[in-house]
Amino acid sequence: MTTQTQTRGTGRKTTPGASHLLNWAGKYSVYLALVALFVFNLVATDGFASTFTLQNLLFSAAPIILIAVGQTLAIGTGGIDLSVGSVMALSSATVALYLGYGEVAAIIIAVAAAALIGVFNGSLIAFARINPLITGLGLLVAVRGLAQAVSGGSRSSIPPGGVFTWIGNASFLGIPVVALFALAAAGAVALLVRRTTFGRYALFAGSNREAAFLAGTPRNITLLAIYTLSAAFAGIAGVMVSARIGASDPSFIGINLELTAIAAVVIGGTPLVGGRISILGTVAAALFLQLIDTTFVMQDINFAFAQVLKAILIIAALYLQRTRKDAR
Amino acid sequence: MSDQDKPLILQARGIRKSFKGVHALKTVSLNLYAGEVHGLNGENGAGKSTLIKILTGFHQPDAGELLLEGRPVSFSKPLDSQHSGISTVYQEVNLIPERTVAENILLGREPRRGGILDKRAAIAQVQEILDRYELNINPRSKVSELGLGMQQMVAIVRAVAFEAKVVILDEPTSALNGNEIEILFNVIRQLRSEGAAILFVSHRMSELYELCDRFTVLRDGEFVTESTPVDLPRAALVKAMLGGVDLDEGSLDRDAARDRMRRLAQEDIGLSVKNLTWSTRVRDVSFDVRKGEIVGLLGLLGSGRTETCKAIFGAVKADAGDVTVAGTPLTRPTPARALSAGVSYLSEDRRNEGIFPGLSVKENMTAAILKNISKFGFISRSAQNSIVREFSDELKVKASNAEQAISELSGGNQQKVLLGRWLSLGPKAVLLDDPTRGIDIGAKAEVHRVIRALAEKGIAVVVTSSETEELLALCDRLVVLSEGSVTGEVYPHEVGYDDVISLLSGQANTAKQTAGGTE
Repeated sequence: MTTQTQTRGTGRKTTPGASHLLNWAGKYSVYLALVALFVFNLVATDGFASTFTLQNLLFSAAPIILIAVGQTLAIGTGGIDLSVGSVMALSSATVALYLGYGEVAAIIIAVAAAALIGVFNGSLIAFARINPLITGLGLLVAVRGLAQAVSGGSRSSIPPGGVFTWIGNASFLGIPVVALFALAAAGAVALLVRRTTFGRYALFAGSNREAAFLAGTPRNITLLAIYTLSAAFAGIAGVMVSARIGASDPSFIGINLELTAIAAVVIGGTPLVGGRISILGTVAAALFLQLIDTTFVMQDINFAFAQVLKAILIIAALYLQRTRKDAR
Repeated sequence: MSDQDKPLILQARGIRKSFKGVHALKTVSLNLYAGEVHGLNGENGAGKSTLIKILTGFHQPDAGELLLEGRPVSFSKPLDSQHSGISTVYQEVNLIPERTVAENILLGREPRRGGILDKRAAIAQVQEILDRYELNINPRSKVSELGLGMQQMVAIVRAVAFEAKVVILDEPTSALNGNEIEILFNVIRQLRSEGAAILFVSHRMSELYELCDRFTVLRDGEFVTESTPVDLPRAALVKAMLGGVDLDEGSLDRDAARDRMRRLAQEDIGLSVKNLTWSTRVRDVSFDVRKGEIVGLLGLLGSGRTETCKAIFGAVKADAGDVTVAGTPLTRPTPARALSAGVSYLSEDRRNEGIFPGLSVKENMTAAILKNISKFGFISRSAQNSIVREFSDELKVKASNAEQAISELSGGNQQKVLLGRWLSLGPKAVLLDDPTRGIDIGAKAEVHRVIRALAEKGIAVVVTSSETEELLALCDRLVVLSEGSVTGEVYPHEVGYDDVISLLSGQANTAKQTAGGTE
């Protein structure tokens, strides 16, 4: 009836030339940046091109990749998971608590405990309809407290020579096993997103909640599964970090890592508003962020500048996303 | 009725406004008199909101002038309009929830003594205002503690309590219950007796006739008439809002239509709705749709046509009523259950309830059918592609390829993709809520063709439209809704336009009521 509604319905078009370039930059910038920084280090950083450095880089990157992949799913649905850092700490505390049952049992219990936090978080978000930001903030504090309470807040070392020592040091074909695991997990999630109904439902929930409901998709179950998976990944990440440092340290493990994970997601090209999921981008961004840390340490630059640089990158990534979102 | 004794407060003359070359208002005038409630009427797109936005300074007219108490004024921003004594209350309540009623009402005008807020004087002042409007509200209560209706009263009182010459109320009753509406009307009457000019917008006929002293009717951005409720009774008002119709299109072949009706009468019931009730918006609605029949839900804005569709589909939870699909009851409907029972629903709100904006044509079209084309959760790509091919061809979707983002398509093509989503499910019944809204004429004709093809396949079709002519031309039968209730059932080929109009206005007396509203 009205042409006014018509123009509103079809949405705006951006000018092709400029937006094309920005689209392209937004799409591939993280991969370009990763390669560029890597090459820079090979050329300009003494001692970078060594097995030791590169393995170390991957050992540190593996848990970040895991929690960032979980975070990508949460953000893809239009939510966020702020609890992952604290869940890592809980996992680490649980390991120490159950080490007496054997190392493998302790790992399983730790990951299960982490997943349970995810079930709780996911239920609040999906069924009680509480804003993920709120549940996440609550759990961020509460789960860290829980981790410190069950462990007495102190660091306790894990006896060397067992499974944990292996996780913390083993490599296959020169690549740390934890990194292979994290990449395999990322690959599995990428497959899930691309090829399964579960991945589609997650995207629908993030893209248009009401339309997802009207299309009869099981939004609540999907959200529950995603927050559970994210927490389970954080649990595994907690095991990895504990194994690497050879100790359970609930007061320090995972501090601020939820922010690193969110940064990886955003820089990797998954928009904060949801409806798009880029696992490969997240993995590249997680590696990139870890590489920045390594670069600053090895170039002997004040580490605080690394944080400032990361902040600038996040803002740049959000800016690029803003222009891309204009196309919708 | 001549009201020459009442002074003209605000006058809009020859207002013209277009957006990007599209005319929203073409020479519209409006006269608001002191001590009168003036109803501004018109269907979707008539230009009501554009006119209000010009009066409140949100938009500036391209041509024409505004006269306030005889003096020309121009508002370059909303504040100018407010300072001139024009107060507006919007549909959304706009208060500070954690502050008291008194603080909200006096915001920016707090009484002070020596630069310090005088709380006692503030409370007294607000109490006096509340008493004036006979509102039983404690000025010390926090706004968040009040019900939505009372919050709205506070918003209105805040808008009008100080030097309001003109008060604009844009659908103030839409969120209120009957009791609250009565309180609101008292406030409005009090305002009127104080000499304010009130512009009132409502889609409920009964409210217009209960409250208004004068009407202005707009249609398609044009001024139609200014009149009084006495001179413009319901049927005439509706006719003025909808305009005349051109009935030569298709519907005149009465013999063919009767033949078709006889054939349809042999068919089984495809969709049956009994005593459907949801809040006050859908009241005891019952109708049947035979397989292959196109039934139009005809009603003005706010008549409950969308809500009826949503309640059938389970998108809102009905309070009572039964839905039966091809003989099988649809119990405790949710969208997921309705879809598996064979009911599809195309929302009227394509942008907010239809498309997944960042996703491709393919993902959008197959969104509801994924369960059926996947094994162990893995989606069959070949099945997905063949569905997209089939329905893109059938519906003539114009997209460069299936991977193109749906948001890059025109409104009409987006709508076709969504139609594909619902039709690919092989439904037994479809609810199409204003399927041609905001799409161009070519796409409109396509959608009509598709709807007829659906009926040919034996699907029970329910369709709504904001255009009465469209439904008259398209449907086998019309169920007329007014204020949430069925007021009649008519066959387009057997009734005149005036019969339809009188049903639309809620006066179910003249038209033939063939089994209308029976239980």
